[in-house]
Amino acid sequence: MDTLLPFKKSAPLTIGLELELQLVDLHHFNLVMEINDFLRRLSEISHTGTIKPEITQSMLEINSSVHLSYLSLLNEVEELRGILVEEADQTHIGICGGGAHPFQKWKEQRIFQTERFSSFSEQYGYLAQQFTVFGQHIHIGCANAEDSLYLCHAMARYLPQFIALSAASPFHQDVDTTFDCSRLTVISAFPLSGTPPWILSWQEFKTYYQKMLRLGVVKSMKDFYWDIRPKPEFGTIEIRICDTPLTISRAVDLVAYAQALARWLLEKRPTLCRDIYLTYLINRFRAARYGLEAILIDPIQQKNILLADDIVQTCNQLESQAINLGSQDALTRIYIMAVERKNDAAWLRKQYAELRSLNDVVRSQTEIWRYGEGSEKKCSH
Amino acid sequence: MHDFLHFPLHINPVFLFGLTLLLGLLGGEIAKLTRILPRISGYIAVGFLVGPNGFNIVTKTLLIDASFFVDIALGLILFDLGRHLDFNWLRHDRGLLPMAITESFLTFAAVFTVLFLFKLPWLPSALAATIAMATSPAVVLMVAHDISSEGPITRRTMILTSLNNLFALILFTILLPIAHIKSSTPQVISEHITYRLLGSVVLGLIMFMITINLSRLTGKNKDSQFVLFVGAIALSIGMAISLNLSTMLTLFTLGVVARNFDYKHKLTEVDFGWLARLFFVLLFVVTGVYLKLDGLWKFTWIVLIFLIVKILAKICGVFIFSATSRLTKQQALTLGVTLLPMAELAIGMSNRLVYFNPNFSYQLITIITAVVAVLYILGPIAVQLAFIKTGEAEKLSY
Repeated sequence: MDTLLPFKKSAPLTIGLELELQLVDLHHFNLVMEINDFLRRLSEISHTGTIKPEITQSMLEINSSVHLSYLSLLNEVEELRGILVEEADQTHIGICGGGAHPFQKWKEQRIFQTERFSSFSEQYGYLAQQFTVFGQHIHIGCANAEDSLYLCHAMARYLPQFIALSAASPFHQDVDTTFDCSRLTVISAFPLSGTPPWILSWQEFKTYYQKMLRLGVVKSMKDFYWDIRPKPEFGTIEIRICDTPLTISRAVDLVAYAQALARWLLEKRPTLCRDIYLTYLINRFRAARYGLEAILIDPIQQKNILLADDIVQTCNQLESQAINLGSQDALTRIYIMAVERKNDAAWLRKQYAELRSLNDVVRSQTEIWRYGEGSEKKCSH
Repeated sequence: MHDFLHFPLHINPVFLFGLTLLLGLLGGEIAKLTRILPRISGYIAVGFLVGPNGFNIVTKTLLIDASFFVDIALGLILFDLGRHLDFNWLRHDRGLLPMAITESFLTFAAVFTVLFLFKLPWLPSALAATIAMATSPAVVLMVAHDISSEGPITRRTMILTSLNNLFALILFTILLPIAHIKSSTPQVISEHITYRLLGSVVLGLIMFMITINLSRLTGKNKDSQFVLFVGAIALSIGMAISLNLSTMLTLFTLGVVARNFDYKHKLTEVDFGWLARLFFVLLFVVTGVYLKLDGLWKFTWIVLIFLIVKILAKICGVFIFSATSRLTKQQALTLGVTLLPMAELAIGMSNRLVYFNPNFSYQLITIITAVVAVLYILGPIAVQLAFIKTGEAEKLSY
């Protein structure tokens, strides 16, 4: 492919979701290399959306269809979860969310053999195995390519909020990392991670892409591991910074929040300022490290703000958008999360404090994934 | 100087332990160099070479000295095997239990019929068929561990091995007293069966309760729970021997109960790791000593037919319910092949048979030992190839 695919026209503000999930053993709760057989079993069942492999053999990715409302998205993903759980039960493996497995050893992970993943593994060496982390990607439909570039940069101001709200990887490689989201440090190791270049016209973006292609830096848009990027073949922007939350409902709430935010940004069109990137990396780091308790630096207003308070303010700002989109419930839950400062990382640490075993923490992750919030009360811990 | 040393030097159990480990290690590494044989084959070959059928270095007294280590090794294996029997999985995969029952009892029926047709008495034939039902847990556990085999077929191999050993252990415990020359009246026989069957299960349950209560002290600390498990296993073995119960059934019960009745998840998933490896090496070398191939020359046809029907029965048994378990044909075939090895438990059962009844059919014991020898030699290779074929084994790093 030598040129960038044309930006596909899609209905503005439509939504879609990708979730990377963990396949775990039900005895020791470590990751299991089951993806080949599990995909074969799933291929025998009819379902909506797409289910596919990821870089290593303990990872599963589910993609939703395109939706207008978060409720229809929720219904589809819940249906998919039902199918996954039933199939996993029959072959006796567990499925769970979370941005990183708490105690898997990266060197034990095996690459899923496809041409793309093998070439990725060849190119990045051990980073490919370390890439056994689990993220949520959110797609928002854009009317045109210019809107997608605008949203990519306008959203950058809010990406730390998404990091803190989705953070679900406090434990990694058998230790409490002290981060709420340890997954991002893994992604930061890739040379093509970070943010898209400061380009606001699609014509210029195409020129940039072709240059990178000619220089041999990338082979396709997929090689850019940016926190947010335009996805021309879908006609969307793709927010790639979130951990996979522990529950379906939280994953879909985050999509609804992104949808309302995109609607507000496109409606109000705040002026973009490159200065936003002066503090982007430090804010990104703080959100990953401290979660909802992080202090953000606003380079435009030149002030500090508690991340949780920033989310509360944004929620207030988005209220009318959520009413129009029919996603007030989701926005309320995001608001409560910020006020109570309870993200999934806090839940996981609480589980560990009670259970004193990371194996049992993963067990509780499989239960909350299966039954939703409140499962810890149903279970006999 | 001669006041301190007495020749010939007495070979004590610790000397034997060290020597067995080092020789086993040597054999295992040589086997690995062949790129075809698994390490186990090397351990077994060492045992065979130092045994009475090889260079006759190991005497009967030395084997008795080694029995302590063998008991511990078997205890660890049986406990681990019991932990692979997860009732939840049987509930969700409706094909799994029927598959285990079919492959086990098809093997029993096929072997029994063959031996009976060769005019062997029914009871010894039934005992031999019972021994043929069980897959060697040590072989499948060790091969899977050695080549890092992980995946659906490896896990199914473990649970089917667990179930066919359970059926074989129960049937063997029932049939053995009947073959006992002294227990002639039906009442004595039934009392003996009840005592050994129920007693072993009850002892396993009691040991579980002791373990779970002690785990309150240890908490979830893996190091402490490691000691807890090894202690519980050793104590269970000792108690079972003292009470004349089945050590195998007791340990198996402890494993099954620990897996299925630890509702509050008090016990952690302890990996016996290096300890298991030490005892496994020892077990394979020591049991290698018992290998006898003379039955292969004396009763060639019976041994060959025994082997063929066992192989066919295991594979067919798996195939019949493979669709219910939603396995592919290739998966069913490889799963059937992984269930072929007979080793330490078969040898243990055969030895127990002779111990209980020294007049037990010489012909049958010779046949059983020949079949075990063939499957002990070929089984690990077949299992390794099967796991590689499934794609579940890590690339072999020779």
